[in-house]
Amino acid sequence: MRLHALKSQLIAVTAWFPMLGSVVVTTAGLVSGRLPLLAVGLGALAITLLVRCWKWSIAAKANAHLTTTSGPAHDEEAALTAPSSQPSGGEADLKALILEMLTRGRYALLLRRQIVSGLSAEQLDFTRQALADGMVVVPAGEVMLSDGESTADDGRFTDDEVDRYRLARVPVEDFFLDRYLVSNRQYQQFVSAGGYEQAALWDPTILPAVLDFVDQTGHPGPRFWKNGRHLPGQEEYPVVGICWYEAAAYARWVGKRLPTDAEWVKAASWPVAVSPGVWQQRKYPWGNAFEPCRANLWGCGPGHTVPVEEFAAGASVGGAYQLIGNVWEWTSGDFGYDDVEGPLLSEPASAAVMKCLRGGAFDTYFETQATCQFRSGDHPLARKHNVGFRCAISACDLVLTADYELQADEPADADRDVADDYDGDESSYANLDLDDGSYVSTPSNPLPIAEEVAV
Amino acid sequence: MVPLDSYRLANYSVGLPCYICGEDNLHDAEICRHCFAPLALAHQVNAQGIQPQILTTIGSSGAGKTVFLGMLLDMLSRQPNGLQLLARGAFSITLQQLTIGALAQCRFPQKTPLEADRWNWVHAQLKSNEQPQPLELVMPDLAGEAIAQEIEHPFSQRAIRELLSKSRAALLLVDAMSLERGLVEQDFFLLKLLCYLQELPAEAPPKSRRGAASPWSHEPWGKRPLAVVFTKADVCAGCFDDPEGFAAQYLPGVRQFCRDRFSQVAYFAAGVAGGCISRTIRYEGRVRVPLRIEPRGIVEPFEWLIQQLQGGKKRNALREKLRFS
Repeated sequence: MRLHALKSQLIAVTAWFPMLGSVVVTTAGLVSGRLPLLAVGLGALAITLLVRCWKWSIAAKANAHLTTTSGPAHDEEAALTAPSSQPSGGEADLKALILEMLTRGRYALLLRRQIVSGLSAEQLDFTRQALADGMVVVPAGEVMLSDGESTADDGRFTDDEVDRYRLARVPVEDFFLDRYLVSNRQYQQFVSAGGYEQAALWDPTILPAVLDFVDQTGHPGPRFWKNGRHLPGQEEYPVVGICWYEAAAYARWVGKRLPTDAEWVKAASWPVAVSPGVWQQRKYPWGNAFEPCRANLWGCGPGHTVPVEEFAAGASVGGAYQLIGNVWEWTSGDFGYDDVEGPLLSEPASAAVMKCLRGGAFDTYFETQATCQFRSGDHPLARKHNVGFRCAISACDLVLTADYELQADEPADADRDVADDYDGDESSYANLDLDDGSYVSTPSNPLPIAEEVAV
Repeated sequence: MVPLDSYRLANYSVGLPCYICGEDNLHDAEICRHCFAPLALAHQVNAQGIQPQILTTIGSSGAGKTVFLGMLLDMLSRQPNGLQLLARGAFSITLQQLTIGALAQCRFPQKTPLEADRWNWVHAQLKSNEQPQPLELVMPDLAGEAIAQEIEHPFSQRAIRELLSKSRAALLLVDAMSLERGLVEQDFFLLKLLCYLQELPAEAPPKSRRGAASPWSHEPWGKRPLAVVFTKADVCAGCFDDPEGFAAQYLPGVRQFCRDRFSQVAYFAAGVAGGCISRTIRYEGRVRVPLRIEPRGIVEPFEWLIQQLQGGKKRNALREKLRFS
């Protein structure tokens, strides 16, 4: 990041060269007393000053945008929650900002409780539409998590089997999950907006390693990119070559988070309580039998990644594409040594150094290792050719109704929670646990969205 | 009773020569009493009139020979296009079955035992769209300890010596992970192995039946194709991108030796597991456990070897043609 700062300073210095040149020419004209030289020098100086003034005005506008678009989520929220006091120019900027956020896929930030009241009805409609296009709703409920393939082939579980097969019954709240894997095009927005240079987006412990998250040409970006850009023609392919921290930083930038293990399995296997004590949970998103044409796995696909919108036949009940196949997906869960079957004698202290991967990839050889239940893991700094991700967000973190208004005592509580952790310093801001969004809503203050999502 | 006895007597009176070592055996024996190779190979050669070529997979103990070979067999038997492998004899499927069965359950297969009578052998027919004539191959799964024993004490493992003498080409497997960790044992082992191959006498052409061309190589080892495969490359950064560069960095001595003494050498990287962890398991100690199976670079070295063999066959045919003309 120091290199980037140096580069920007260099650019700033070189920007003054034309003006310096014109001053030199004018001075030379004055000293020598040659009128044409003086006229040329003055003309050049005037033009340079005009251009500089125009650039300053543009930069001032861009700066206003930058503090809101590329800064931490709270800065955006602060900028958007107080639009009424701004002049009409500010409203225009706000509109431009909202449009920019929508085009960059950062609609989830606009639907935060503190921001949504500042949106017009039209803007809210657009934002809701973006949410509907980009994410699927997964209803609340329980999901069975197993440690492997020790589950029934027909996907049915009884209470006895839950105990016998060491299954974990995990409750999951309503949440939204990305309909598609994050594509190169979407990730390009993050890279172009300087996501790798914003310390607030990254886990403070990993900041020294961020300098090492470069592409093949040494620019910040995924491992297999070149010159800070994805390869031509791969806009809609899933972004790969990113580590767990890069995935988490992107998710934070768009106002989302990585899904938990239970959320991922719930979205894919879509569990249903058939009768009291009996659960039906799918082995694959489309059913309990493997069908090669529905997923991009070894032997079923072209042998490499495919665009994120392909294999529609393998979509989940909720409408999420490619949960199985194409690329493995990072989740927020830890992967410990307990996750591998077999008698365990001892395990090292660093048992949870890995992060969880779900879903299988284009080169996954066995279909039994690409089920909704199967989990694998990798080092969080690993940047593999077949690992990507998708984002999630809790439904309680979003507000979809226009008539929502903050209650009198609620913002004070929420703001106090935020203020307790945030003292204006970026580094302390980074310590905020934005991923779980717990400061936004509390069980005692249920948000209106809960009813809407349940429907 | 008399005709039956005569039939049996006739069978017992004529020895069945082992396809690998050429020594006579009883016609109903399962394995050769001299080199422990399966006599099913000899039966198939006699019955079908085919002369399979030997292709060996060699390397130190723990280099991943069993996993590589088992995975290769399964991939070639499953893929619809390109090279296809069809097993001959039920014994040829055992290696594939054991390897794939273990990997599917996120385990590596058991180590190949030192005893030659417990090795798994593969006899298969290789078909490809480009070559109308299928190729018959014999590919044994050798124990790394047995190879090391034969290198240290020549003639101690007869099967190894016979196989390497008659092998047309070889896949030399090297554990890239241990190389990257700076362990030098493999470096010395490989140098010894290459020296041993160099010293093996060129096999005299056997008396071919019905005028068939000899399947055995009677060229010195320096002229036979050798594919150096860095296994477990999934955990070594950059190994897949530039295997020869990896060799130059971690195996400079071996690379220099190959450059000087072997005319057909190529470097490859391969990996079967997408990720691994080490675990301590009761009665087994510290073992590596694959977290998922993602074969990569498995077929490429084999394809290269086959191309070299077929190219060599074409070259020989052209040479013969020129000589007669």
